Amino acid sequence: MTKGPRARRALIATLTATICGAAVSVAEAQKPDFTGVYESYRAPQGQGQGQGRGGPRAALPLTEEGKRRNEEYNVLAGPTRLNGATFCADYGTPSMMSLPGAYPIEFIQKGDQLTIIYEVNNETRRIYIGDRQVAPEKRLPSRAGYSAGHWEGNVLVVKTTDLLDGQDQTGSPFSDQATIDERFSFEDANGKKVLVYQAAITDPIYYTEPVKIERRYQAYDGFIIPYGCQDELWYELLDLRRDQMKAGKPVEARMSDVYKVREARE
Amino acid sequence: MATRFKAFVVAACASALALCAAVATAHHSAAQFDFQQRVTVEGTVKEFNVTNPHTWAVVELKDDKRGTRDAQFEGHSASHFYRAGYTRDMVKVGDKIAILIAPRRDGEDGGFIQAFTVNGKTVGFGGLSPETGKREGASE
Repeated sequence: MTKGPRARRALIATLTATICGAAVSVAEAQKPDFTGVYESYRAPQGQGQGQGRGGPRAALPLTEEGKRRNEEYNVLAGPTRLNGATFCADYGTPSMMSLPGAYPIEFIQKGDQLTIIYEVNNETRRIYIGDRQVAPEKRLPSRAGYSAGHWEGNVLVVKTTDLLDGQDQTGSPFSDQATIDERFSFEDANGKKVLVYQAAITDPIYYTEPVKIERRYQAYDGFIIPYGCQDELWYELLDLRRDQMKAGKPVEARMSDVYKVREARE
Repeated sequence: MATRFKAFVVAACASALALCAAVATAHHSAAQFDFQQRVTVEGTVKEFNVTNPHTWAVVELKDDKRGTRDAQFEGHSASHFYRAGYTRDMVKVGDKIAILIAPRRDGEDGGFIQAFTVNGKTVGFGGLSPETGKREGASE
């Protein structure tokens, strides 16, 4: 049963591959798993402020074009301060990461992808981690943008590009040339495991320097609630048509009628 | 009921005025409401739609000064309603309801719902316990 040199080499190669594979698996296993449902971090009484709510908008370094755009938005929003959320528009990246409206947010991490779902509008963004990426020419610009991530130690480092030109609901603009550098990590805060989110928005059109954001999230003891919004318009249209049908009138209500009813309520 | 209700809702929202307003402004064009004021109105439910992005209700109000009329109210999203303690079909057409509102700035009927009591059950917003009227958990 004595093995020859070839058999020994094969055995050594197999063992080496197994050990290396196991080492990779251990390294992977040691990466933070952000999976969970979170809410804004609340610091204990007398130990500083939580940083989940509110905006980084106190003194934005706007370019002249940025100022013009902001002023224009103020006119468009009008005295009643219309905002996109009222019309079920997505917040986009990074606004949704600020948890506007104080809703919970869900992280689902699996191998080469981190999926983040904000309760409002079920707004979803996907961060592709590692080599598996969409080719740049195949990336459809969106409010969420395209997010590519990699690990630096225990920090998930993400670059978000391919954003649509837009404005958040406070009126702060970002252009389609904006990029967002993001970092996700865990830290211990007062004995509580806190997910730290940091972002720096670089936008040569609207900002003279990067705008930095930092948010902290803590585990949320509850569930995400299904949040339908846009579909309400459809059902309200059906309601109007149902009313017409019951009244023996022509069933001809249009979406513009739905908006009229909504405006009358405002 | 009204007195007890008023005591609760005033305590509930006075301690979290900023939060109530902050949550409201996330979805709503809140400029028409005065979130520094609180008014309690009582009436009969004609419509109560707990929906997104915000709830709306029509309540029949009646008083000597202005007679009987319908008033429209806005409120938080369905998510916030359910988290605050609202349960399906809690409010039905014909129910008597007391609502604590941030009133309209123009003085007209209507406002933004901050809390309400119907059929002996109270729901308040702003991370406040409907049972105790106190903020749950640590402060911001």
